Amino acid sequence: MVLPLFVLAVALCAALAGWAAWFAARDRAVILRQLFAAGAVEAVLVVQAVVAGVLQAGGHEVDGPLFWGYLLTAALLLPIAAAWAFAERTRWSSVVLCVASLTVAFLQWRLWIVWGGS
Amino acid sequence: MATAPGAGTTAHGFGRLLVAVYGILAFAAIGRSAYQVATKLDEAPLAYLLSLLAAGVYAVATIALARGGRGRWRAVAWCAVAVEATGVIVVGTLSVVVPGLFDEATVWSAFGQGYGYVPLVLPFVGLWWLWHTRPGQHARVTSPDESTEAR
Repeated sequence: MVLPLFVLAVALCAALAGWAAWFAARDRAVILRQLFAAGAVEAVLVVQAVVAGVLQAGGHEVDGPLFWGYLLTAALLLPIAAAWAFAERTRWSSVVLCVASLTVAFLQWRLWIVWGGS
Repeated sequence: MATAPGAGTTAHGFGRLLVAVYGILAFAAIGRSAYQVATKLDEAPLAYLLSLLAAGVYAVATIALARGGRGRWRAVAWCAVAVEATGVIVVGTLSVVVPGLFDEATVWSAFGQGYGYVPLVLPFVGLWWLWHTRPGQHARVTSPDESTEAR
């Protein structure tokens, strides 16, 4: 039941990364609508945290520090990229958002493995 | 320091991306090596402590580049990035030539393979960027009309 949450997060990250890459190629800075998309990714991460917490409390064996460390890192990346999007009004904010999105997607894959992939 | 992109500063334009990638690598390396040192240091003390040292150098480089590379921070950035370049070459070569030297993989083992070879590429991009933005140059990065504001 956890798999759809990971797939959803990776799909959203991939879409956001593609959107940001397209903006970078067009020499455009990040726009507010992309930050709303980043907010949607964050919402999925929050749901993941809640579901993971409930399942862990229910007896799911997982390497706690590793899993929560990855999840916390994933949750921090997009807000930092968003803050930079306000400070850096050039195409490089789009590149940073793209890299941050891809990193979150990578972390989701790692999280899925650490979780035990059931 | 959110304004004045261009020559003499390492934190803007392309530098923003460099700082971001450095930050992610530093965070990942610190998290992983601190976890290894805290939970299983006795398994491979040399490898894990070396990873922690490397992680610290990445953190220093991230901060120095994010500070804009002004004055002393530029010297700190040069040193940190040079140490990384040397480390990944020396440790990478050692890990391939003398496989038994480290009991477990370090950040720099096999030229940073465990981190997608980012540790191999990043220091050289960092060296290029520090050279590209050196003071007294009109590094045309984001806004060619900006004048030099570094010392």
